[in-house]
Amino acid sequence: MSKTNENVLNIKHVSVIFDGFKALTDVDIQVKRHSIHFFIGPNGAGKTTLLDIICAKTKPTSGTVHYYPKGREDIRLTGMKEYKIVNEGVGRKFQVPSVFVELTVFENMVLSLKGHKGVWESIFYKVSKADKEQIMEVLKKVGLQDRIDIQAGSLAHGEKQWLEIAMQLVQKPEIIMLDEPAAGMGKPETFKTGELLKEIKKECTIIVVEHDMDFVKQIADTVTVLHEGKVLMEGNISDVLADRTVQAVYLGRGGERNAEDQ
Amino acid sequence: MKKLAGLKGKGNHLCFLIIAVLLAASPLLVSSTSMIQFLGKCMCFSIVAIALDLIWGYTGMLSLGHGIYFCLGGYGMAMYLRLRDNGGQLTDFMQTGGLEELPVFWRPFQHFPLALLFIILIPTVLAGAIGFFIFRSRIKGVYFSIITQALTWAAYSLFIANSKYTGGNNGITDFSSLLGSTRGPANRGNLLTLFWVTLLALILVYMLASFLVNRKFGKLLIAIRDGENRTFFSGYCVNNYKNFIYTLSAILAAIGGALYVNFNGSITPSQMTISYSITMVIWVAVGGRGTIIGAVIGAFFINLCEYNLSSGSLADIWQYIIGIIFCVTIVFFKGGIVGIFRDQIPALLKGRGKKKEVA
Amino acid sequence: MALMNTLFNGLSLSSIYLLVALGLAVTFGLMGVINMAHGEFVMIGAYVTFITQEIIGGNGSVAYLLSILVAFLTTFVLGCILEKVLITRLYGRKIDSLLATWGISLILQQAARSIFGSQGVNVNAPAFLKSGLTIGGCTFAYNRIFIIGLVIVWLLTVWLLMNKTSFGAKMRATMQNRAMAQCMGINSKKIDCITFGIGSGLAGVAGCSIALLGSVDSTVGQNYIVYSFMTVVLGGVGNLIGTVIGAMIIGFSSIFVEAYQSASIARAIVLLIIIVFLQFKPKGLFVIRSRSLDEE
Repeated sequence: MSKTNENVLNIKHVSVIFDGFKALTDVDIQVKRHSIHFFIGPNGAGKTTLLDIICAKTKPTSGTVHYYPKGREDIRLTGMKEYKIVNEGVGRKFQVPSVFVELTVFENMVLSLKGHKGVWESIFYKVSKADKEQIMEVLKKVGLQDRIDIQAGSLAHGEKQWLEIAMQLVQKPEIIMLDEPAAGMGKPETFKTGELLKEIKKECTIIVVEHDMDFVKQIADTVTVLHEGKVLMEGNISDVLADRTVQAVYLGRGGERNAEDQ
Repeated sequence: MKKLAGLKGKGNHLCFLIIAVLLAASPLLVSSTSMIQFLGKCMCFSIVAIALDLIWGYTGMLSLGHGIYFCLGGYGMAMYLRLRDNGGQLTDFMQTGGLEELPVFWRPFQHFPLALLFIILIPTVLAGAIGFFIFRSRIKGVYFSIITQALTWAAYSLFIANSKYTGGNNGITDFSSLLGSTRGPANRGNLLTLFWVTLLALILVYMLASFLVNRKFGKLLIAIRDGENRTFFSGYCVNNYKNFIYTLSAILAAIGGALYVNFNGSITPSQMTISYSITMVIWVAVGGRGTIIGAVIGAFFINLCEYNLSSGSLADIWQYIIGIIFCVTIVFFKGGIVGIFRDQIPALLKGRGKKKEVA
Repeated sequence: MALMNTLFNGLSLSSIYLLVALGLAVTFGLMGVINMAHGEFVMIGAYVTFITQEIIGGNGSVAYLLSILVAFLTTFVLGCILEKVLITRLYGRKIDSLLATWGISLILQQAARSIFGSQGVNVNAPAFLKSGLTIGGCTFAYNRIFIIGLVIVWLLTVWLLMNKTSFGAKMRATMQNRAMAQCMGINSKKIDCITFGIGSGLAGVAGCSIALLGSVDSTVGQNYIVYSFMTVVLGGVGNLIGTVIGAMIIGFSSIFVEAYQSASIARAIVLLIIIVFLQFKPKGLFVIRSRSLDEE
């Protein structure tokens, strides 16, 4: 059945155990369509593991993840192959920028285009005018339109992050997951990334793992706080910031770190 | 920037064109039969080198077992030629082994079309199956190399052990080429035809490989080399790509082997050893991995050196030389000969230019 | 009785593979370096045994025991040199280190041929290893029992070194997190060098034992290297117990298959079994699971 559900992702009772270590315990999260949903929490809280579960990089010990694409049947992501999940419209950007360093920015984008992913198709594929326009449009969004012939490996760190976001966008996903998109960026770059994500939100749902609280404040619609593999609380950013327990386990430490920075 | 990249591609093709023209003309310039045979073999080696470059240089999978595929092609052709030359009778090693009639898997090789089919089909099926299992279980990097090395060792053992079917250590000998004997001045026509046919095969393989690596497909191979996981998460079934290119590479190696026996007049299991398989890798590394022209240059360069150095008083030193060339290439000249012209020399010129400016 | 013999042969073969693989467990397992010249270090160990015996003479017992030490030291030093000159430039480029060490292997093989000729040389088994122990109709050759004992001693030594000494702690720290180890004041370059030396030294010791089993020539190491790499892969890279079990599986299965098939076919069958096995456990028997994102 096709739900015209307001949720796009439903994580039900997910637990993961690595050799006796409980990385996630009975996690239940719903992600709303066209929202920016943050997973935050201290190191080892299970944020990245949760992303791994959604994109099937890691298999959950128990529990399921369901995905409700627009106007189509819902899809059970648990147990699917990674590349199929991507083609269904769930993209993922990893923590370490992982663009194809030996290829140019443009070639990186061509590889990320939606469709023609089979061996034969890729042999006989030619970049059409429409494809090129689409790529240029996305690159303009992230501000890399002038750098199409540069080798991706020689881009600056922040630019690589943007290129990777662009590579996600050009696949026309319904959900993109970003693991610490602002890591290693300065304040102005982080802000620019935030504005970019707000723009993107119109087209798809964004799940972000991030430590930078200013960045969270800037763009978050919903925030889920994870702690030791469990959902500690969920709500909008002001509720979360006001919560005593959250302050104790996480923000307290974040506060210390900010103090150190200054 | 784009122009420069285009120019480089054209430079590579121009370079290959020059090599091809020189080769085509070489029978007119060289009278020695053995030299022509040697150049013919080098062209076969170039085909194998291109095959290896596709999976190692482009896709990042180092196979230490391409000797198997080279030999499968070689043995297939040798079986046909041997049966043709003795009229479908049992070979000497079969008689020594006590066989009464031709083994079943030899029978198709009595007919040329069937033999050709099997020369292609056997490596296809074998590589396809090996690739399917290896890539399915995500074995990669050095593990892939170690496993292919073990497979080579296993295949070699099998060929040696079953001497009544394969000729054992001696392999298959005593046959003339597809076009008949190529020895002596009377048969020079045969030799030259064979030579030009092989050159044509090399040109076709070069064109095919260049075509593939310049398509999106080729960019994807590089993507797999640089970031396999990323490629998965861009929505590609990486296993299919790896298996496709691995199998294609095996087929090309087999074609190289099948042509080779025509010039060599024999095939032995020593050509499927680990050591010989790594020698093929040396060609690619020295010529320049990741460029098709590099594979061709490397195969010719190393074999020409060997041809001139490994006979006579220098024979002992040759092993030292090849060992040192190889180490130095890997450590200092990752791009091989092509890399020296593409990266090192321009960098040097640039450096000198800068110094002048300062002066 | 026949079973007894088979079991003993299996144990003996396992111990030999283990001895060769032990060095690889250090260089490949801990450091991640594929040393294709490992087999040539085994060969050097075997030749050193031969030379020591030639120089000292006598019935060979003293010479042989001494040669174990000399072989270890020789290959240890050669290993350190190789690390300093070559390997250290190739960290993080695993496949390249594989190829470069292959070049070294070519050079060492040719050097052996130039010095000793292509004919094999024979090491006299020392007097105390010449006969065998006979129990109820079964003969257990002393030299094989000796090798089994030797491998146990070396295994314990390596384990103690890695787990009970401060050098071992530094070594493991370096291999797990180089940057962090450096911050803790560990001289990681020195550790790399010594670790690689130890791995190579173990190959030399293995060479001493192999010299007891047959004639020594320039390719003697090549006969063991494929199985030894498979032993480490099968056991799970970086796991000593895995390496022991891997060697046992390969050793015993070879002997059992050989009871029905020729040695060459047995070799092929055993390798195929391992490859099929790796289908189910691609990372070997004992996997060290890590949470880090990407491989190599």
